[in-house]
Amino acid sequence: MEEYIKQFLARTDESIHNLPIKEIAKAFNVLQAVYERDGRIYVFGNGGSLAMATHWVSDFNKTVFSHHLGKQVKRFQAIRLPTTESELTAWANDEGFDMVFLGPLQNYMREGDAIIAISSSGNSVNILKAVEYAKSCEVPVIGVSGFDGGKLNELADVKIFVPTEKGRYGIVEGVHGVILHLMTEYFKDYFNHVMERRGRAD
Amino acid sequence: MIRAPLRMSFVGGGTDLPDFYHRSPGRVLSATIDKYIYVLVNPTPLVDKFMVKYQKTELVDHPKDIQHTRVRAALLDLDITKSGIEIGSFADLPAKTGLGSSSSFAVALMKGLNAYLGKTLSREEAAEAASRLEIELLGEPIGKQDQYAASFGGFNIFQFNPDDSVDVESILLDYKKKLEFEDHILLFYTGITRPASSVLSDQKSKIDKNFETYIQMADSVFEFNERLLAGDIKGIAKMLHEGWARKKSLSSSAPNMLVDEIYNAGLGAGAWGGKILGAGGGGCVMFIAPPPAQGKIRERMQTFFKEHELPEGRELPIHFTHTGTDILLNNHYQNGF
Repeated sequence: MEEYIKQFLARTDESIHNLPIKEIAKAFNVLQAVYERDGRIYVFGNGGSLAMATHWVSDFNKTVFSHHLGKQVKRFQAIRLPTTESELTAWANDEGFDMVFLGPLQNYMREGDAIIAISSSGNSVNILKAVEYAKSCEVPVIGVSGFDGGKLNELADVKIFVPTEKGRYGIVEGVHGVILHLMTEYFKDYFNHVMERRGRAD
Repeated sequence: MIRAPLRMSFVGGGTDLPDFYHRSPGRVLSATIDKYIYVLVNPTPLVDKFMVKYQKTELVDHPKDIQHTRVRAALLDLDITKSGIEIGSFADLPAKTGLGSSSSFAVALMKGLNAYLGKTLSREEAAEAASRLEIELLGEPIGKQDQYAASFGGFNIFQFNPDDSVDVESILLDYKKKLEFEDHILLFYTGITRPASSVLSDQKSKIDKNFETYIQMADSVFEFNERLLAGDIKGIAKMLHEGWARKKSLSSSAPNMLVDEIYNAGLGAGAWGGKILGAGGGGCVMFIAPPPAQGKIRERMQTFFKEHELPEGRELPIHFTHTGTDILLNNHYQNGF
Protein backbone atom coordinates (compact mmCIF):
# COMPACT_ATOMS: atom_id res chain seq x y z
CA MET A 1 0.00 0.00 0.00
CA GLU A 2 2.74 2.43 0.97
CA GLU A 3 4.61 1.53 -2.19
CA TYR A 4 1.53 2.46 -4.25
CA ILE A 5 1.23 5.78 -2.49
CA LYS A 6 4.93 6.49 -2.96
CA GLN A 7 4.66 5.72 -6.66
CA PHE A 8 1.72 8.05 -7.13
CA LEU A 9 3.47 10.84 -5.26
CA ALA A 10 6.66 10.25 -7.22
CA ARG A 11 4.76 10.60 -10.48
CA THR A 12 3.09 13.75 -9.25
CA ASP A 13 6.46 15.08 -8.09
CA GLU A 14 7.96 14.40 -11.47
CA SER A 15 5.12 16.20 -13.26
CA ILE A 16 5.46 19.21 -11.00
CA HIS A 17 9.21 19.18 -11.47
CA ASN A 18 8.83 19.27 -15.26
CA LEU A 19 6.28 22.06 -15.40
CA PRO A 20 6.92 24.74 -18.05
CA ILE A 21 7.71 27.59 -15.68
CA LYS A 22 8.14 30.16 -18.45
CA GLU A 23 4.71 29.38 -19.83
CA ILE A 24 3.12 29.80 -16.41
CA ALA A 25 4.89 33.15 -16.10
CA LYS A 26 3.54 34.12 -19.53
CA ALA A 27 0.06 33.26 -18.27
CA PHE A 28 0.56 35.75 -15.41
CA ASN A 29 1.40 38.44 -17.98
CA VAL A 30 -1.71 37.59 -20.01
CA LEU A 31 -3.94 37.76 -16.94
CA GLN A 32 -2.40 41.05 -15.85
CA ALA A 33 -2.91 42.52 -19.33
CA VAL A 34 -6.58 41.44 -19.36
CA TYR A 35 -7.07 43.14 -15.99
CA GLU A 36 -5.56 46.39 -17.28
CA ARG A 37 -7.90 46.51 -20.25
CA ASP A 38 -10.93 45.57 -18.19
CA GLY A 39 -11.33 42.32 -20.06
CA ARG A 40 -12.77 39.05 -18.85
CA ILE A 41 -11.30 35.61 -18.49
CA TYR A 42 -13.42 32.68 -19.63
CA VAL A 43 -12.43 29.32 -18.22
CA PHE A 44 -13.82 25.91 -19.04
CA GLY A 45 -13.21 22.18 -19.18
CA ASN A 46 -15.03 18.83 -19.05
CA GLY A 47 -15.83 16.82 -15.92
CA GLY A 48 -13.19 17.34 -13.24
CA SER A 49 -11.68 20.15 -15.29
CA LEU A 50 -15.01 21.97 -15.21
CA ALA A 51 -15.07 21.57 -11.43
CA MET A 52 -11.58 23.08 -11.29
CA ALA A 53 -12.62 25.92 -13.54
CA THR A 54 -15.50 26.65 -11.17
CA HIS A 55 -13.24 26.50 -8.13
CA TRP A 56 -10.65 28.75 -9.76
CA VAL A 57 -13.20 31.40 -10.68
CA SER A 58 -14.27 31.84 -7.06
CA ASP A 59 -10.66 32.01 -5.88
CA PHE A 60 -9.51 34.35 -8.60
CA ASN A 61 -12.43 36.72 -8.33
CA LYS A 62 -12.55 36.83 -4.55
CA THR A 63 -9.59 35.25 -2.75
CA VAL A 64 -7.10 37.44 -4.63
CA PHE A 65 -8.76 40.49 -3.09
CA SER A 66 -9.97 38.91 0.14
CA HIS A 67 -7.94 41.11 2.48
CA HIS A 68 -9.35 44.25 0.92
CA LEU A 69 -12.91 43.42 -0.01
CA GLY A 70 -14.25 46.55 1.66
CA LYS A 71 -12.24 48.80 -0.61
CA GLN A 72 -13.56 49.90 -3.96
CA VAL A 73 -10.94 48.42 -6.22
CA LYS A 74 -11.20 46.92 -9.63
CA ARG A 75 -11.31 43.13 -9.37
CA PHE A 76 -10.74 40.33 -11.82
CA GLN A 77 -13.65 39.18 -13.92
CA ALA A 78 -13.21 35.45 -14.38
CA ILE A 79 -16.23 33.57 -15.66
CA ARG A 80 -16.76 29.84 -15.96
CA LEU A 81 -18.45 28.62 -19.09
CA PRO A 82 -21.21 27.67 -19.39
CA THR A 83 -22.31 29.99 -16.63
CA THR A 84 -25.41 27.94 -15.73
CA GLU A 85 -26.51 24.31 -15.95
CA SER A 86 -29.46 25.42 -18.03
CA GLU A 87 -27.14 26.85 -20.64
CA LEU A 88 -25.02 23.71 -20.56
CA THR A 89 -27.95 21.38 -21.12
CA ALA A 90 -29.65 23.65 -23.63
CA TRP A 91 -26.59 23.70 -25.86
CA ALA A 92 -25.86 20.01 -25.35
CA ASN A 93 -29.43 18.90 -25.98
CA ASP A 94 -30.25 21.21 -28.87
CA GLU A 95 -26.95 21.68 -30.65
CA GLY A 96 -24.79 18.83 -29.44
CA PHE A 97 -22.09 18.47 -26.82
CA ASP A 98 -19.47 19.94 -29.13
CA MET A 99 -21.15 23.30 -28.70
CA VAL A 100 -21.35 23.58 -24.90
CA PHE A 101 -18.36 25.96 -24.63
CA LEU A 102 -18.32 27.57 -28.05
CA GLY A 103 -22.00 28.46 -27.88
CA PRO A 104 -21.81 30.54 -24.67
CA LEU A 105 -18.37 31.90 -25.60
CA GLN A 106 -19.88 33.42 -28.73
CA ASN A 107 -22.39 35.23 -26.53
CA TYR A 108 -19.80 36.76 -24.24
CA MET A 109 -16.38 37.10 -25.78
CA ARG A 110 -14.98 40.53 -26.75
CA GLU A 111 -11.62 41.58 -28.18
CA GLY A 112 -10.05 42.39 -24.81
CA ASP A 113 -10.76 39.03 -23.15
CA ALA A 114 -8.70 35.87 -22.66
CA ILE A 115 -9.59 32.23 -22.24
CA ILE A 116 -8.24 29.39 -20.15
CA ALA A 117 -9.04 25.99 -21.62
CA ILE A 118 -8.46 22.99 -19.35
CA SER A 119 -8.25 19.55 -20.91
CA SER A 120 -6.18 16.59 -19.72
CA SER A 121 -6.06 14.98 -23.16
CA GLY A 122 -5.94 18.30 -24.96
CA ASN A 123 -8.17 16.74 -27.59
CA SER A 124 -11.78 17.28 -26.43
CA VAL A 125 -13.67 18.50 -29.44
CA ASN A 126 -15.87 20.93 -27.52
CA ILE A 127 -12.76 22.55 -26.00
CA LEU A 128 -10.97 22.78 -29.33
CA LYS A 129 -13.97 24.39 -31.01
CA ALA A 130 -14.00 27.17 -28.42
CA VAL A 131 -10.22 27.56 -28.62
CA GLU A 132 -10.30 27.86 -32.41
CA TYR A 133 -12.98 30.51 -32.17
CA ALA A 134 -10.96 32.55 -29.65
CA LYS A 135 -7.90 32.29 -31.85
CA SER A 136 -9.84 33.48 -34.89
CA CYS A 137 -10.75 36.59 -32.86
CA GLU A 138 -7.12 37.11 -31.75
CA VAL A 139 -8.11 36.51 -28.12
CA PRO A 140 -5.20 34.95 -26.17
CA VAL A 141 -5.60 31.29 -25.23
CA ILE A 142 -4.02 29.77 -22.13
CA GLY A 143 -4.09 26.01 -22.69
CA VAL A 144 -3.82 23.79 -19.62
CA SER A 145 -3.29 20.24 -20.83
CA GLY A 146 -1.84 16.85 -19.86
CA PHE A 147 -0.82 13.49 -21.42
CA ASP A 148 0.90 14.48 -24.68
CA GLY A 149 -0.67 17.95 -24.78
CA GLY A 150 -2.88 17.10 -27.72
CA LYS A 151 -4.21 19.66 -30.16
CA LEU A 152 -4.87 22.15 -27.35
CA ASN A 153 -1.17 22.49 -26.62
CA GLU A 154 -0.48 23.06 -30.31
CA LEU A 155 -3.11 25.78 -30.60
CA ALA A 156 -2.62 27.60 -27.30
CA ASP A 157 -0.69 30.88 -27.11
CA VAL A 158 0.41 29.96 -23.61
CA LYS A 159 1.20 26.25 -23.38
CA ILE A 160 0.82 24.94 -19.84
CA PHE A 161 1.37 21.29 -20.54
CA VAL A 162 1.77 18.67 -17.80
CA PRO A 163 3.44 15.71 -19.50
CA THR A 164 2.12 12.41 -18.12
CA GLU A 165 1.33 8.90 -19.13
CA LYS A 166 -1.91 8.74 -21.15
CA GLY A 167 -4.97 8.16 -18.99
CA ARG A 168 -3.39 9.30 -15.69
CA TYR A 169 -6.13 11.81 -14.98
CA GLY A 170 -5.50 11.83 -11.25
CA ILE A 171 -1.98 13.13 -11.67
CA VAL A 172 -2.79 15.62 -14.41
CA GLU A 173 -5.76 17.08 -12.60
CA GLY A 174 -3.89 17.27 -9.31
CA VAL A 175 -1.10 19.24 -10.97
CA HIS A 176 -3.59 21.41 -12.84
CA GLY A 177 -5.04 22.27 -9.45
CA VAL A 178 -1.60 23.34 -8.26
CA ILE A 179 -1.11 25.56 -11.33
CA LEU A 180 -4.50 27.22 -10.95
CA HIS A 181 -3.81 27.87 -7.26
CA LEU A 182 -0.42 29.25 -8.20
CA MET A 183 -2.14 31.84 -10.43
CA THR A 184 -4.40 32.87 -7.59
CA GLU A 185 -1.57 33.02 -5.04
CA TYR A 186 0.63 35.13 -7.33
CA PHE A 187 -2.01 37.77 -7.84
CA LYS A 188 -3.08 37.66 -4.20
CA ASP A 189 0.49 38.36 -3.09
CA TYR A 190 0.88 40.98 -5.83
CA PHE A 191 -2.31 42.75 -4.82
CA ASN A 192 -1.50 42.60 -1.10
CA HIS A 193 1.94 44.04 -1.86
CA VAL A 194 0.43 46.93 -3.80
CA MET A 195 -2.07 47.66 -1.03
CA GLU A 196 0.66 47.59 1.64
CA ARG A 197 2.73 50.05 -0.38
CA ARG A 198 -0.30 52.26 -0.81
CA GLY A 199 -0.87 52.10 2.93
CA ARG A 200 2.69 53.17 3.59
CA ALA A 201 2.38 56.04 1.11
CA ASP A 202 -0.79 57.44 2.79
CA MET B 1 -12.64 52.86 -29.76
CA ILE B 2 -9.03 51.81 -29.62
CA ARG B 3 -6.46 52.50 -26.92
CA ALA B 4 -2.70 52.35 -27.50
CA PRO B 5 -0.08 52.75 -24.76
CA LEU B 6 3.04 54.89 -24.98
CA ARG B 7 6.39 53.31 -24.28
CA MET B 8 9.76 53.82 -22.68
CA SER B 9 12.63 52.47 -24.68
CA PHE B 10 15.63 51.40 -22.60
CA VAL B 11 18.32 49.93 -24.83
CA GLY B 12 18.94 49.17 -28.47
CA GLY B 13 17.11 52.15 -30.00
CA GLY B 14 18.45 52.81 -33.51
CA THR B 15 19.21 49.16 -34.22
CA ASP B 16 15.60 48.84 -35.41
CA LEU B 17 16.46 50.82 -38.54
CA PRO B 18 16.48 48.64 -41.68
CA ASP B 19 19.90 49.97 -42.71
CA PHE B 20 21.24 48.19 -39.66
CA TYR B 21 19.06 45.13 -39.18
CA HIS B 22 19.29 44.10 -42.83
CA ARG B 23 22.97 43.48 -42.11
CA SER B 24 22.82 42.27 -38.50
CA PRO B 25 19.88 41.59 -36.16
CA GLY B 26 18.66 44.69 -34.32
CA ARG B 27 17.29 44.46 -30.79
CA VAL B 28 15.33 46.81 -28.58
CA LEU B 29 14.17 46.38 -25.00
CA SER B 30 11.24 48.56 -24.00
CA ALA B 31 8.19 48.73 -21.76
CA THR B 32 4.78 50.30 -22.15
CA ILE B 33 3.46 52.81 -19.61
CA ASP B 34 0.06 53.88 -18.34
CA LYS B 35 -0.21 56.86 -20.68
CA TYR B 36 -2.38 56.31 -23.70
CA ILE B 37 -3.61 57.48 -27.06
CA TYR B 38 -7.21 56.84 -28.02
CA VAL B 39 -8.55 56.66 -31.54
CA LEU B 40 -12.24 56.67 -32.30
CA VAL B 41 -13.61 55.61 -35.66
CA ASN B 42 -17.27 56.31 -36.20
CA PRO B 43 -19.65 56.04 -39.17
CA THR B 44 -21.62 59.24 -39.84
CA PRO B 45 -24.56 58.31 -42.09
CA LEU B 46 -25.93 61.85 -42.39
CA VAL B 47 -22.63 63.56 -43.12
CA ASP B 48 -21.24 62.63 -46.55
CA LYS B 49 -17.74 63.72 -45.63
CA PHE B 50 -14.52 62.60 -44.09
CA MET B 51 -14.09 64.17 -40.69
CA VAL B 52 -10.81 64.09 -38.77
CA LYS B 53 -10.73 65.47 -35.25
CA TYR B 54 -7.52 66.15 -33.35
CA GLN B 55 -6.18 69.56 -32.30
CA LYS B 56 -7.87 70.66 -35.50
CA THR B 57 -11.08 69.50 -37.10
CA GLU B 58 -10.97 68.69 -40.78
CA LEU B 59 -14.05 68.16 -42.94
CA VAL B 60 -13.30 67.10 -46.52
CA ASP B 61 -14.95 65.36 -49.46
CA HIS B 62 -12.17 62.94 -50.28
CA PRO B 63 -9.41 61.39 -48.14
CA LYS B 64 -6.74 62.83 -50.44
CA ASP B 65 -7.69 66.28 -49.15
CA ILE B 66 -6.98 65.39 -45.50
CA GLN B 67 -4.01 67.25 -44.03
CA HIS B 68 -3.33 64.80 -41.22
CA THR B 69 -0.65 62.73 -42.94
CA ARG B 70 -1.20 59.42 -41.16
CA VAL B 71 -4.98 59.46 -41.48
CA ARG B 72 -4.79 60.48 -45.14
CA ALA B 73 -2.27 57.76 -46.04
CA ALA B 74 -4.14 55.09 -44.06
CA LEU B 75 -7.54 55.83 -45.60
CA LEU B 76 -6.12 55.91 -49.13
CA ASP B 77 -4.13 52.73 -48.57
CA LEU B 78 -7.11 50.85 -47.15
CA ASP B 79 -9.22 52.28 -49.95
CA ILE B 80 -11.75 53.80 -47.58
CA THR B 81 -13.13 56.28 -50.09
CA LYS B 82 -16.80 56.03 -49.18
CA SER B 83 -17.65 59.15 -47.20
CA GLY B 84 -19.50 59.17 -43.90
CA ILE B 85 -16.73 58.42 -41.43
CA GLU B 86 -15.19 60.41 -38.63
CA ILE B 87 -11.88 59.68 -36.99
CA GLY B 88 -10.94 61.36 -33.74
CA SER B 89 -7.94 61.10 -31.50
CA PHE B 90 -7.42 61.84 -27.81
CA ALA B 91 -4.16 61.65 -25.91
CA ASP B 92 -3.03 61.69 -22.29
CA LEU B 93 0.14 63.51 -23.35
CA PRO B 94 1.06 65.98 -26.09
CA ALA B 95 3.08 64.89 -29.14
CA LYS B 96 6.88 64.74 -29.18
CA THR B 97 7.43 63.58 -25.62
CA GLY B 98 9.84 60.91 -26.83
CA LEU B 99 7.47 58.21 -25.62
CA GLY B 100 6.65 56.89 -29.08
CA SER B 101 3.27 58.57 -29.37
CA SER B 102 3.14 58.93 -33.15
CA SER B 103 3.62 55.20 -33.64
CA SER B 104 1.12 54.40 -30.87
CA PHE B 105 -1.33 56.53 -32.81
CA ALA B 106 -0.48 54.69 -36.02
CA VAL B 107 -1.11 51.28 -34.42
CA ALA B 108 -4.43 52.41 -32.94
CA LEU B 109 -5.46 53.93 -36.26
CA MET B 110 -4.66 50.81 -38.28
CA LYS B 111 -6.38 48.57 -35.76
CA GLY B 112 -9.41 50.85 -35.74
CA LEU B 113 -9.75 51.29 -39.49
CA ASN B 114 -9.41 47.56 -40.04
CA ALA B 115 -12.08 46.91 -37.41
CA TYR B 116 -14.25 49.47 -39.24
CA LEU B 117 -13.82 47.26 -42.32
CA GLY B 118 -14.72 44.20 -40.23
CA LYS B 119 -11.19 42.86 -39.96
CA THR B 120 -9.43 41.86 -36.74
CA LEU B 121 -5.69 42.38 -36.76
CA SER B 122 -3.35 40.31 -34.61
CA ARG B 123 -0.77 42.21 -32.55
CA GLU B 124 1.87 41.43 -35.13
CA GLU B 125 -0.34 42.46 -38.03
CA ALA B 126 -1.23 45.74 -36.33
CA ALA B 127 2.46 46.48 -35.67
CA GLU B 128 3.37 45.68 -39.25
CA ALA B 129 0.47 47.70 -40.68
CA ALA B 130 1.51 50.72 -38.62
CA SER B 131 5.18 50.29 -39.57
CA ARG B 132 4.25 50.08 -43.22
CA LEU B 133 2.13 53.21 -42.90
CA GLU B 134 4.85 55.26 -41.25
CA ILE B 135 7.96 53.92 -42.95
CA GLU B 136 6.87 52.85 -46.44
CA LEU B 137 3.87 55.03 -47.17
CA LEU B 138 5.02 58.18 -45.37
CA GLY B 139 8.74 57.65 -45.82
CA GLU B 140 9.63 58.47 -42.25
CA PRO B 141 13.22 57.57 -41.37
CA ILE B 142 12.21 55.58 -38.29
CA GLY B 143 12.38 51.96 -37.22
CA LYS B 144 9.69 49.50 -36.14
CA GLN B 145 10.35 49.33 -32.39
CA ASP B 146 7.61 51.77 -31.37
CA GLN B 147 4.89 50.15 -33.42
CA TYR B 148 5.76 46.75 -31.96
CA ALA B 149 6.02 48.11 -28.41
CA ALA B 150 2.61 49.79 -28.63
CA SER B 151 0.91 46.85 -30.28
CA PHE B 152 2.21 44.11 -27.95
CA GLY B 153 2.44 45.98 -24.65
CA GLY B 154 4.49 45.11 -21.57
CA PHE B 155 8.21 44.56 -21.13
CA ASN B 156 9.56 43.05 -24.34
CA ILE B 157 12.67 42.34 -26.32
CA PHE B 158 12.07 42.84 -30.02
CA GLN B 159 14.53 41.33 -32.43
CA PHE B 160 14.51 42.76 -35.94
CA ASN B 161 15.84 40.12 -38.31
CA PRO B 162 17.59 40.69 -41.65
CA ASP B 163 14.65 39.05 -43.47
CA ASP B 164 12.35 41.76 -41.99
CA SER B 165 10.67 39.36 -39.57
CA VAL B 166 10.45 40.37 -35.92
CA ASP B 167 10.78 38.08 -32.89
CA VAL B 168 8.97 39.18 -29.77
CA GLU B 169 10.14 37.92 -26.40
CA SER B 170 8.06 38.99 -23.48
CA ILE B 171 10.16 39.62 -20.36
CA LEU B 172 8.82 37.67 -17.41
CA LEU B 173 9.40 40.18 -14.65
CA ASP B 174 7.66 39.46 -11.35
CA TYR B 175 5.60 42.08 -9.57
CA LYS B 176 8.17 42.82 -6.87
CA LYS B 177 10.95 43.56 -9.31
CA LYS B 178 8.63 45.54 -11.56
CA LEU B 179 7.39 47.74 -8.69
CA GLU B 180 10.91 48.12 -7.31
CA PHE B 181 12.06 49.30 -10.74
CA GLU B 182 9.14 51.74 -10.94
CA ASP B 183 10.12 53.12 -7.53
CA HIS B 184 13.54 54.03 -8.91
CA ILE B 185 12.28 55.81 -12.01
CA LEU B 186 11.75 59.53 -12.22
CA LEU B 187 10.40 60.89 -15.47
CA PHE B 188 10.38 64.59 -16.35
CA TYR B 189 8.78 66.21 -19.34
CA THR B 190 11.08 69.03 -20.43
CA GLY B 191 8.72 70.96 -22.69
CA ILE B 192 11.46 71.06 -25.32
CA THR B 193 10.33 69.50 -28.60
CA ARG B 194 12.04 68.49 -31.78
CA PRO B 195 10.71 65.87 -34.20
CA ALA B 196 12.40 62.50 -33.89
CA SER B 197 12.97 62.19 -37.61
CA SER B 198 15.38 65.16 -37.68
CA VAL B 199 17.75 63.33 -35.38
CA LEU B 200 17.11 59.89 -36.82
CA SER B 201 17.61 60.84 -40.46
CA ASP B 202 21.03 61.98 -39.44
CA GLN B 203 21.67 58.83 -37.42
CA LYS B 204 20.84 56.68 -40.43
CA SER B 205 23.83 57.87 -42.39
CA LYS B 206 26.02 57.03 -39.43
CA ILE B 207 25.28 53.32 -39.37
CA ASP B 208 28.03 52.47 -41.85
CA LYS B 209 30.63 54.40 -39.93
CA ASN B 210 29.61 53.06 -36.53
CA PHE B 211 28.54 49.56 -37.42
CA GLU B 212 30.38 47.95 -34.49
CA THR B 213 28.80 50.37 -32.03
CA TYR B 214 25.38 49.41 -33.36
CA ILE B 215 26.16 45.74 -32.88
CA GLN B 216 27.14 46.51 -29.28
CA MET B 217 23.88 48.42 -28.82
CA ALA B 218 21.86 45.47 -30.11
CA ASP B 219 23.78 43.07 -27.86
CA SER B 220 23.42 45.28 -24.79
CA VAL B 221 19.77 44.19 -24.66
CA PHE B 222 20.85 40.84 -23.22
CA GLU B 223 22.86 42.37 -20.39
CA PHE B 224 20.06 44.80 -19.60
CA ASN B 225 17.57 41.96 -19.47
CA GLU B 226 19.77 39.95 -17.11
CA ARG B 227 20.21 42.92 -14.79
CA LEU B 228 16.49 43.66 -14.91
CA LEU B 229 15.58 40.09 -13.98
CA ALA B 230 18.21 40.10 -11.23
CA GLY B 231 16.88 43.37 -9.81
CA ASP B 232 20.24 45.10 -10.36
CA ILE B 233 18.79 48.59 -10.77
CA LYS B 234 22.09 50.37 -10.19
CA GLY B 235 23.65 48.28 -12.96
CA ILE B 236 20.77 49.19 -15.25
CA ALA B 237 21.28 52.88 -14.49
CA LYS B 238 24.95 52.59 -15.35
CA MET B 239 24.12 50.92 -18.65
CA LEU B 240 21.67 53.67 -19.54
CA HIS B 241 24.23 56.31 -18.69
CA GLU B 242 26.79 54.70 -20.98
CA GLY B 243 24.14 54.27 -23.64
CA TRP B 244 23.31 57.97 -23.57
CA ALA B 245 26.97 58.87 -23.96
CA ARG B 246 27.19 56.47 -26.91
CA LYS B 247 24.08 57.90 -28.50
CA LYS B 248 25.47 61.40 -28.30
CA SER B 249 28.62 60.25 -30.06
CA LEU B 250 26.53 58.82 -32.93
CA SER B 251 24.92 62.09 -33.83
CA SER B 252 27.05 64.50 -35.80
CA SER B 253 24.87 67.52 -35.08
CA ALA B 254 25.26 68.87 -31.58
CA PRO B 255 22.82 67.30 -29.13
CA ASN B 256 20.37 69.67 -27.57
CA MET B 257 22.61 71.33 -24.98
CA LEU B 258 19.75 72.22 -22.72
CA VAL B 259 18.58 68.60 -22.54
CA ASP B 260 22.11 67.52 -21.77
CA GLU B 261 22.25 70.10 -19.00
CA ILE B 262 19.01 68.79 -17.51
CA TYR B 263 20.45 65.30 -17.57
CA ASN B 264 23.66 66.39 -15.88
CA ALA B 265 21.73 68.37 -13.26
CA GLY B 266 19.79 65.23 -12.34
CA LEU B 267 23.00 63.24 -12.05
CA GLY B 268 24.46 65.99 -9.89
CA ALA B 269 21.45 65.73 -7.58
CA GLY B 270 21.99 62.03 -6.99
CA ALA B 271 20.58 60.05 -9.93
CA TRP B 272 22.47 56.85 -10.77
CA GLY B 273 21.86 57.27 -14.48
CA GLY B 274 19.13 57.77 -17.00
CA LYS B 275 18.44 58.68 -20.56
CA ILE B 276 16.77 61.13 -22.84
CA LEU B 277 13.71 59.44 -24.26
CA GLY B 278 13.06 59.60 -27.95
CA ALA B 279 15.66 60.54 -30.49
CA GLY B 280 17.67 62.78 -28.24
CA GLY B 281 16.23 66.09 -29.28
CA GLY B 282 14.08 66.87 -26.26
CA GLY B 283 10.89 65.41 -24.89
CA CYS B 284 11.34 63.56 -21.62
CA VAL B 285 14.32 62.92 -19.42
CA MET B 286 14.24 59.76 -17.34
CA PHE B 287 16.38 59.20 -14.27
CA ILE B 288 17.04 56.09 -12.27
CA ALA B 289 17.63 57.14 -8.71
CA PRO B 290 17.45 55.63 -5.25
CA PRO B 291 14.18 56.71 -3.58
CA PRO B 292 15.93 58.76 -0.83
CA ALA B 293 17.62 60.91 -3.49
CA GLN B 294 14.43 61.57 -5.42
CA GLY B 295 13.27 64.55 -3.38
CA LYS B 296 16.46 66.39 -4.13
CA ILE B 297 16.25 65.57 -7.85
CA ARG B 298 12.67 66.85 -7.98
CA GLU B 299 13.71 70.12 -6.36
CA ARG B 300 16.66 70.45 -8.70
CA MET B 301 14.44 69.93 -11.74
CA GLN B 302 11.87 72.43 -10.53
CA THR B 303 14.55 75.04 -10.11
CA PHE B 304 16.08 74.16 -13.45
CA PHE B 305 12.76 74.49 -15.31
CA LYS B 306 12.17 77.85 -13.62
CA GLU B 307 15.65 79.18 -14.34
CA HIS B 308 15.51 78.15 -17.98
CA GLU B 309 11.96 79.33 -18.54
CA LEU B 310 10.52 75.93 -19.34
CA PRO B 311 7.01 76.39 -17.93
CA GLU B 312 5.84 73.06 -19.31
CA GLY B 313 8.67 71.20 -17.61
CA ARG B 314 7.33 68.95 -14.87
CA GLU B 315 7.41 65.48 -13.41
CA LEU B 316 5.35 62.78 -15.07
CA PRO B 317 4.67 59.85 -12.74
CA ILE B 318 4.25 56.56 -14.61
CA HIS B 319 3.52 52.90 -14.05
CA PHE B 320 4.45 50.05 -16.35
CA THR B 321 1.70 48.16 -18.11
CA HIS B 322 1.24 44.77 -19.73
CA THR B 323 -1.47 45.29 -22.28
CA GLY B 324 -0.89 46.66 -25.75
CA THR B 325 -3.16 48.27 -28.30
CA ASP B 326 -6.71 47.13 -27.63
CA ILE B 327 -10.13 47.65 -29.04
CA LEU B 328 -12.02 48.82 -25.96
CA LEU B 329 -15.35 49.10 -27.68
CA ASN B 330 -16.47 47.67 -30.98
CA ASN B 331 -20.00 48.73 -31.68
CA HIS B 332 -20.45 47.14 -35.05
CA TYR B 333 -24.14 46.30 -35.23
CA GLN B 334 -25.24 44.62 -38.38
CA ASN B 335 -28.62 43.96 -39.97
CA GLY B 336 -30.43 46.15 -37.46
CA PHE B 337 -30.20 43.79 -34.49
